[in-house]
Amino acid sequence: MSTVVGRMSEEGPAVALTDIWKRFPGVLANAGAHLTVTSGTIHAVLGENGAGKSTLMNVLAGVYRPDQGEVRVHGRTCRFRNPADALSAGIGMVHQEFRLVPSFTVAENVVLGAAPPLLRQSAVEVEVATTATQFGLTIEPDRPVWQLSMGERQRVEILKALWRDAQILILDEPTAVLTPSEAEELGGVLRRMADDGRSVIFISHKLREVTDFCDEATVLRGGETVAASLIVADSDSTQLAGLMVGASPVITNRPPPKEPGAALLEVTELSAHDDRGIDALHAVDITVRSGEIVGVAGVAGNGQRELAEVIVGFRPATGGNIVIDGTDLTTATPRQRFKAGLGYIPEDRLGVGLAPRLSVVDNAVLRVYSDYRRGPFLVAERAAAHCQELVDRFSVRTGALTDPVAGLSGGNLQRLLVGRELDGHPRVVVAAQPTRGLDVQGVKAIQDLLVAERNSGAGVLMISEDLDELLTLADRLLVMQGGRIAGEFDPVVSSRQAIGVAMLGHQRDPEAGQ
Amino acid sequence: MRRPVLVRRDEILRGGQPLAFAIGLTVALAIGVLLLLGAGHDPAGVYQRMFEASLGDPDAWSITLNRAVPLGLAGLAVAIAGSMGLWNIGAEGQILAGAVMAAWVARVGDAWPGPILIAAMLVAGAVGGGLLAAGPALARSSIGVNEIITTLMLNEVALRLVQWLIHGPWKDPDSFNFPLAPMLPDQARLPVLFGRAHAGVILAGVLITVFGLAVSRSVWGYELRVAGSSEATARYAGISLRRKILTVLVLSGAVAGFAGAVELSGTADRLTETISNGFGFAGIIVAALALMRPSGVAAVALLFGAVQIGGQSIQTLGVSSSVSTILQAFILFGAIGAGVFSQYRIQLVAGRSNMAEEPAT
Repeated sequence: MSTVVGRMSEEGPAVALTDIWKRFPGVLANAGAHLTVTSGTIHAVLGENGAGKSTLMNVLAGVYRPDQGEVRVHGRTCRFRNPADALSAGIGMVHQEFRLVPSFTVAENVVLGAAPPLLRQSAVEVEVATTATQFGLTIEPDRPVWQLSMGERQRVEILKALWRDAQILILDEPTAVLTPSEAEELGGVLRRMADDGRSVIFISHKLREVTDFCDEATVLRGGETVAASLIVADSDSTQLAGLMVGASPVITNRPPPKEPGAALLEVTELSAHDDRGIDALHAVDITVRSGEIVGVAGVAGNGQRELAEVIVGFRPATGGNIVIDGTDLTTATPRQRFKAGLGYIPEDRLGVGLAPRLSVVDNAVLRVYSDYRRGPFLVAERAAAHCQELVDRFSVRTGALTDPVAGLSGGNLQRLLVGRELDGHPRVVVAAQPTRGLDVQGVKAIQDLLVAERNSGAGVLMISEDLDELLTLADRLLVMQGGRIAGEFDPVVSSRQAIGVAMLGHQRDPEAGQ
Repeated sequence: MRRPVLVRRDEILRGGQPLAFAIGLTVALAIGVLLLLGAGHDPAGVYQRMFEASLGDPDAWSITLNRAVPLGLAGLAVAIAGSMGLWNIGAEGQILAGAVMAAWVARVGDAWPGPILIAAMLVAGAVGGGLLAAGPALARSSIGVNEIITTLMLNEVALRLVQWLIHGPWKDPDSFNFPLAPMLPDQARLPVLFGRAHAGVILAGVLITVFGLAVSRSVWGYELRVAGSSEATARYAGISLRRKILTVLVLSGAVAGFAGAVELSGTADRLTETISNGFGFAGIIVAALALMRPSGVAAVALLFGAVQIGGQSIQTLGVSSSVSTILQAFILFGAIGAGVFSQYRIQLVAGRSNMAEEPAT
């Protein structure tokens, strides 16, 4: 790949974002981020989940207004009030979730909102077909969108931007929905656009794609730019991975280790589909023993969610076995697994773990309500007493116990949920993102509970996107990438860089993770 | 620049619903004064007649109660499904189906003693409504077909069935070729309590109480409410969604069908195609006003019945039926519109962008 990248137009770079700040309630998403993109290049924006990539791109695309900072496009300062403003300045964005009308044809979707007053179907189709051919996009303009594959739908989104003559195209993790050959093809399309003098901003988690497709890369971490406009051809992937995950902090507060006992959760050759019916887990083997916390790290969307859901019985396994405390429960219902000693702290607290409109009491007894049955009735006093006990023991701060649980703060919701799941001392706990979105105190409280459970002999499988958390708590650390275990690490001695490289999947060989 | 937006309250305002109802009613009556003045009527006289005809004396109460029975039962039917987040828009047709089944039992058993015949008619009514709802229930629980559409479409089917019956096989030979079903046997009539109020008032009260308790206190109702709050949470707790959806929708249809049998046996002389009289659709409003809680249905149905009876009575004062209908609509609309504020509050926010900003995930 050439190191001579693009051409500077007289007015300056295609995009110059300077010192962008954006705060959401409780989250500082961008803290002085910078980005400079030259015309005629493909520019990668790299960063972990929560690094502020999407926010920064949404600022450029007019979806968010920055609290502070300057947006310059081709040298001109812009203040976008909405995405239409950004579009008229030549900025198009292809979001991860497509915004298409399924019953409309490709051509209709492309011109939607910008159609000439007298829409002649055939003329529009010809026009759209011409644009498509120009950039090597294979598409039939008269096909309805609902008939198209995800890859084809993405091409429609790209066409939408090109048809509006977008000079700057932002793609948010475009290859997540693509097959490898489709991804390859996309790379070709993007190169043609760059050769045409346009700029492409490519958000990705996959280092291989960055090195294959992109000319320059900007790395974000914690809402800040840690490396701007690196020439990809001059950088190596270890360097990029290191920039993304940052330097290793000195971890001082590791709980004292415990000698692990017998295997409590044995997952062998486990496979499963994702929601679209595509393989998301490929023959995964995991063993969790009594008295240990096994951490699962990885970039979001590499099979962690599916792994948790298959183990707890929400998602059928397409292959392999799940043995809990010596019993094969591969086909058991969620309730049977709970009875067998499996506690679950789901990622989606209010949508899965708790029933938001029901009271604190109703939620506290969700797992054990059948124990409080008398005839057809649920004995309200006993349910309330059980709830009070949980609330006291796990220091949940609530109003009236009969108020809807949705009124609780995030930290208290999670204490209630974790308390409910740990109440009967399960043998195995699957905790998915157990501390995400909590404040410092809340994080500490939940972590302490999980460690205490480990110390009393439970096996904990902890899935988290927070690498520091896993390095602090886990006794062993597994990295998931592309639905496989890409490596096992000892959290005490492993370098973050090595873990980062495994997370980003640069090594194709799953055995080479160490 | 600041603009008002509706923001959902973290918790429903305690006692907000009756309060909102009262405020809405007052505002609606005030607007109604303008409407009546514009139409050349004396508002005080009209309102007085409305009140007297619906709630003024025991006789008026008996008429209002009779009207509240089908409204309450239809509202209960919708609220049972609504507690689980399902929409039964087919109560109108289920009422007809219930009435058809009850009329059929009355034809077969016209020589049976009264209590047995009435009991059989009521059971048959529930079966009829339940059967009509069974199709949508099965389709929803097994392959996820939207129950709103299927229950709605079956209303038309039930109506055509009734029309066919009274124009064809069930036409009264003594009706001089008018499309009328024969009169019910005398012993098929529900006993009268007082004035014109029939025993359906008690039946409806009992049924609403039983379902109110079942939903709020029983294990069955608990599972229903969990499923209504979040399907994923219900699966997590090991609740079988399929079976729940099936039973809840069939039960909802059965309650509406029961209402059809009560209407036939309590207030109609014979099966007619207007026996459902829009009660099935009004039931949706009743249930919504009761916030989908079966226990709240009775009070709402009573108020709704009083408004309808009062609205009809003022037509004898020369108020045209359209003005009366608009007035009724004002009152109900006011009550519902105000009901929003027990769940939402108005907040002034800065800016004029209508885009909600939320952090990207």
